[in-house]
Formats: sequence, C-alpha cells, structure tokens
Amino acid sequence: MSDNEYLKRLFQAYYKENRSEITYVSRFEQREFGYIPWDNQIIMNRHLSFQNHESLIKYLIEEGPRHVYSSGALYLKPDNTDMDNKIYQGCDLIIDIDVDHFYTPCKEDHDLWICNSCGKEGTGMPKKCPNCGKLKLKTINWICTNCLDVAKNEIFKLIYNFLIPDFGINLDQTKIAFSGHRGYHLKIENEDIRTLSSEERREISNYLSGEHISFEILGWQKRVDSIFGPFKDNIGWTNKIMKKIEDFLKKPYQEIHDLLGNKNKFNFNESQVKAFLNLKEDILGVLNDNSRNTWPSYGFGVDSWYKFLKGIVHEIGVEIDIPVTIDIHRLIRYPGSLHGKTGFRAQEIYPDELDDFNPLDEAIDKLDPIVFKSNKSQKLIITESKVPLTKIKGESYGPYNKDEIIEVPHHIAVFLLCKEVAKTI
Amino acid sequence: MIIPIELVNHYPWLPSRKKHYSDISGKDPSDKDPIEFISEVFSKDFGIKIKERLLILFNAAFENLEEISDYKIDNLNIYVYLLLKILLYALDNRIITNRVANLYSKIAYSELKKENDSNLYYICQDLGLNIKYYDPPINYGIIRVKEQHQKLETNFALYFIDYLKLASTLRDEYRQLVHNALSQGYVLIQNKRLIRLIQEYVRNKLLLNETKDKVSLKEFLKKILEIKDFKEVYDKITEAWTERKEEFEFVFKIDFESKENILELYPPCVGEILRKAKEGRNLIHNERLFIVWFLLALEYPVEEVVDLFSTMPDFDKEKTYYQVNFAKKKKYVPYKCLTLKSLNLCMAKKYNDELCLEGYFSKELGDRKNVTHPLRYTRIKQYRASKEKNYTKKQLNKKNE
Repeated sequence: MSDNEYLKRLFQAYYKENRSEITYVSRFEQREFGYIPWDNQIIMNRHLSFQNHESLIKYLIEEGPRHVYSSGALYLKPDNTDMDNKIYQGCDLIIDIDVDHFYTPCKEDHDLWICNSCGKEGTGMPKKCPNCGKLKLKTINWICTNCLDVAKNEIFKLIYNFLIPDFGINLDQTKIAFSGHRGYHLKIENEDIRTLSSEERREISNYLSGEHISFEILGWQKRVDSIFGPFKDNIGWTNKIMKKIEDFLKKPYQEIHDLLGNKNKFNFNESQVKAFLNLKEDILGVLNDNSRNTWPSYGFGVDSWYKFLKGIVHEIGVEIDIPVTIDIHRLIRYPGSLHGKTGFRAQEIYPDELDDFNPLDEAIDKLDPIVFKSNKSQKLIITESKVPLTKIKGESYGPYNKDEIIEVPHHIAVFLLCKEVAKTI
Repeated sequence: MIIPIELVNHYPWLPSRKKHYSDISGKDPSDKDPIEFISEVFSKDFGIKIKERLLILFNAAFENLEEISDYKIDNLNIYVYLLLKILLYALDNRIITNRVANLYSKIAYSELKKENDSNLYYICQDLGLNIKYYDPPINYGIIRVKEQHQKLETNFALYFIDYLKLASTLRDEYRQLVHNALSQGYVLIQNKRLIRLIQEYVRNKLLLNETKDKVSLKEFLKKILEIKDFKEVYDKITEAWTERKEEFEFVFKIDFESKENILELYPPCVGEILRKAKEGRNLIHNERLFIVWFLLALEYPVEEVVDLFSTMPDFDKEKTYYQVNFAKKKKYVPYKCLTLKSLNLCMAKKYNDELCLEGYFSKELGDRKNVTHPLRYTRIKQYRASKEKNYTKKQLNKKNE
C-alpha cells in the first residue's frame, strides 16, 4: 500500500468515526464543492454540489480526499461546470491570513529553500536565490507556535481594529477557522456584504491592508524640505497612523532603534536611525500640540518620513491574502475537514475561544485540530535532505536529515507523511 | 416613508416615481407597450415643448456641454426623462448614451446642490440608501489647507456597502474607502460628495438601458417610428449625430510604421482600455494615466493620444491636451506588469493571453522568461511579426523563382 493510499484510508476512517465534527455551512445546497484526491498529480476537481449534509459525509467517507473545499459564493446551480451558468447569488466575505504570504522571523529557523538552478540552500523566505538570482526555489515550509501566533494576532487586529470599530461587523455573523496548516480564515455571512462585487471587495481589502494609501489625501503635505502632518483626531486611517506613531515613539530607545534598523520592518541605515531618535521628543511634542503641524526633519528628510509612514501603515494593516478576498468564485477549505498537508482538522473557533486557542498544543479536546494523536509509534524514513524541527503537543521532533530512520508517535508520522518529507517503512 | 411629489417631479429617476405615477411608469420602455405612452404624450398640448427639450438635451450632449443654462424643472420633467430613456434605447449607441447620461447626471448634480438637508435625506431614503442624519453635525477631523484650518463636519453618514456600490465606478483616489472616515459601518460624508455619488447613480440609471437583443430592438424601433412626432425627434437627433459623430467616434489614427494591425501588437491590458475608449466608456484615473504613458512611450503624436479620449463622457479637449503634453514633458514610464496587477488592470487571465501567461523563450535556448512590462510585450510581438513577414516574403520569392 502506498503512503497516499495509507493516508486516504486514515482520512476515510476519521470521517467515518467523526461525522458530527464535520461542519454544516449555511446555505449548504447553494455552495459549490471541490476536492483534491490522493493522486500523485495535484488536480482540483470542482463543480460539485451536495443536496444535504449527509450526502457530503457519505462522500467524504467514500473518497477520503486530500483536501476539501466549498465556495464562499452561493449559486442556484453550483454543480454547473460553466461559471456563467451557475447563476451566482452572492458571496460571503472571505479573509485569509496565511503566513505563507508574509514574513515572520521564525521562518529563518524553519522554512528551507534550495535553488533549482545553482543548488544553493538556505532558510527564510527569499524572493529569489541570493546566489544566482533565479526565481525558481524549492521550498519546505514548516509551522511553529510562533508563526501561528503571528497569524492569530493578525486575526485579532482584523476583528478589533477594523471589522468591529470601522465596519460595524457583528461577530455573530463571523466565522473563524484555523486552516489546518499555516493560517486562519475569517468569513462574514451577511446578506448586504454578499451583494458586493469583486471591485467593491478590493476596496475593503485595501482598507484592511492599508494598500494604496495616499498620505497626501490623508493630510500630509510635502514642502521642499519639511513635512506637514494632519491632526491626530481625524477619524479613519489618519487616526490609526497618528496613534501608532505616538505608541511607537513611547517605546524604549533600544526597541525603536532595533525596529527602525530591521530590514523586514523599516529598514533604515544607522545614520537615519540616529537622526530619528534625536528628533523623538520633538515629534512627540508636535503630535500633542494642535497648534503645530510642521514635523521636525533635521537629518531625517521628507523621503525618510514617507518611508517611515509606509512602515507604520504596514504595522497597522492586516496581512490578508488580497486575491482570496476579491475573488468571488474562490473555494476555501471546508471547516471540519482534514488538511492534506498536515493531517490536521480545519478547526472552527468562536472569537472568544481564539485567545487561548493553540493549534499545535490545544488543551480543549473538541477544539484540537490534531486528530490523529496517539502514543503508538511508527517507523519512517526521511526522504528530504533536511527536515526542520517539529514541535507538537509540547514535544520536539527532529530536525532530521535524508535517509534517517525515525520512530515517532502516530500524529507526527501522519504530519511528516502529509508534508511529503518521509515514507513509511 | 412617502417622498413629497414635488421631489419626484424634480427628480424623475427616483424609485418613488413608480408609486406616484403608476399610470406613467407602467409605460416605461422596459414595460410591454410604450407605444401607447409615446403617442399619448405627443398628442397632448405640451408635446411640442417636450420635443424641444429633448432636442436641447441631445444637442447639448453632442456639444459636450456641462450644463444647460435654462434647463426647465417642472411637471414635464418626468415625461422628458421617460422619453429620454426610450430614445437612448432606440438609438442603441453607446457613445450617445454615455454623453447624454453624463450631461443629464450633471444637471441632476446642479439641482441636488440646491436642496436642503431634509430633501437630500428624503432622496437618499427613496434610493434605498442606508443613511444616518446627525443634527447637530458630527465633527470628524480638521484639514489644513496651507495655513488655514478647515473643520471636517457633516450631517450625513452612509452605510459602507451603499458607499462602495455608488463610489466603486468612480474610483478617484480620494473616494477610495481607505481615504475616508469610516466608523461603525458608516462613511462620514459631506453633502457635496454625497451628491456626487447620487449623480453617479443617475448616470448609471441611464447607462443600464442597453440591449443585446437586436431583433426585438429592430421590431420596437419599427413600431415607434410609426409615431410621427417621435420619428421627427429621432431623425433630428440622428441627423445631428451624423454631423458631429466624426468628432467623437473612436478612430485610432495611430499607425505603426509597418502598417500591421496594431491592436495585435498590444498586450491585453492596453487592448481592454482601447476597447473601453472605443465604446465611450469611462476610464478610471489609472487607466487614463497608463494608456497615455504607454502611447507616448511608443512615440505616438500628442494629437492622436488626445483623440483617443474624445469619446470619454467628460472629454475636454483643452485640458486633455495640457495633461498629455505634461506627461510627455515628464517622460513618465508606463506601469510595469506587477503594478498593473496590483491596480487590477492586468487582463492576461481575462483574455487568456499566451505571451503574458506563459512568457517567451529568450535567445538562450530553453530559458523561458516572463513578460514583466507591457512595452516589452509590444517589442516581442513586433519582433515576431517582422520575422513572420520576412518568412512569408522569402516563401513568396521562392515560389516566384
């Protein structure tokens, strides 16, 4: 039996024994479904629909697919293969936060890459090979509590800094789910929002992420060698930026120094950092004095200010995967289904459960995405040149090297097999 | 809530028209038999006045006027509006529709500016907008203009969904949600900007009047042209249009040296904008910038770039000349593919363009490269076209030998 066949049977058994864990999404019969089977080639099969929840469960037990998705959109004919003939009825607002798409410091420890052209290896998330400049890199992306906490923090920012205060979204209409891998999905089921076009959703995406902000429109003005700022009480993004600057300036000296110099944050050189720190008290003074609006710029010119403002916007904005939000026909992972890259359950969580939720070491059983946990051990052989350290349920496994034979608990074995870095022996 | 009938007379595009004038609205062009309605209107004493008003409207639109100085708002307004819709449907000309819709909505804007808050609130309610009224006005900030401070305050807050629906076709930078005061689901919006959004609603209301069913249209046209007075108006409009259309109809005079079909040499993002321009559809700010910079980069003469915009609903020759000349002087570089994607102007997937999606093979064998700039796309297409031409020429020469 191949490893894919083995995983398929495990997934089938899971669905059979945990029928009640498979979520029933609203307007179920109007959703399009899609799945990826356990074939060597990853091909998505779309345009499916189910008349009722029971038929979906039956299907999952029979097929045990690698990945299962359903649409955010509602259709009168969800199984029609022609998108134009599905008869679109609206779409939930989907927000995807996935650490695949943004930098976290822990990636320097656990995300591996190897250049397909020159063979150079390294860690982190470079856009191209630092050695030969080619773009085609093979990557092994891992997960850890740190990066999942970063993703969770983005969900908090999204809800409490944007959705509730700015958009007035009711949490009762909001569904949050751990994706089963590297992030979270947030779905808003609201009849008004369902009517929004893709272009209108882009406006919301831009608002949440701070993309395409014009500082001039928000009230900053460049004048030769000085910059005039807006009032901090202006409602909207201006207020968010001004508050963030004030908070930033109140941080300890060394912390400001490090953040400004950090190449993944503000990326200023040492002389610019020093110039900014020299102006720190002056800037705070201007921010708290409504009669002054000329921001000090000695040694920290207009361009540096704009770079700083962009960095601040980046800190405030939510790291959302914009194409997911604006694509009204996108399929998203079905809540309660298993993720074929980890074997973890895509776990729905109530907003008030989110704070304590820890996907890699969850204390509450019904919220635990690691469904194959067992003390029974299993032997595997490592197939990749390097496999990063995995820390699940408080225990660390690895790092491993190619051809290493390991004996690990069942849930770790499932995880490594799903990650395709090991084989059964 | 019942809106005062005076407001419906003044603004016949308000949905309440159907309640107040169920006898008239039953004869909307979208309804079964508008013929009876048209005959009835022209048989009345005021038929001549309506004819005049319609012709003034169309002529002003063809003249590219921003307003009509003595535009009458009275009880006939409602008939003018309904006949205007029928005429636009019958004429079935996108450029005319755009021009008229633009002018008519600007007239609505001028009129709405004169309304008090209470009427404005009624109008928004009638349009089904979720709007809040604050009395006293709500303060949402201060802006500095040079050394002056200007208080930002308003009585109105519009639900963000309604705001997005009205503002999304405008897409000016300052109208983007990210640049507006959004709180508890409502955009705090000043009267002038709210009215501008209503203007867009009125414009769209007239633009929605197109049909794909040309057979039915032909039959409909045949029937209504049997009404003498209507035919007279229709003929006068088409006559006026024939005289003026050369000034507006999209003629892409620009020609590449080699006289090939130039549109084939352009990437789909450029083709899409040119098609929109041809149909007289409004181009958003970034589309305008991009197409001007792109054509100027290919050394197209300023006059011909200006011509491209002549079909725009807001075309102003003098302003456009100034802006295109300015862009030429500044030598702006057109957006690269990455920027076009972020601005949602990339059309590679929409048109399934092979060169955009799959890239090209460079001289280095086996090294496939992605197209990263629309100008690069055009250069590759030019290169391929010239190679093909040389090959055909050689083949022909061989045959002749």
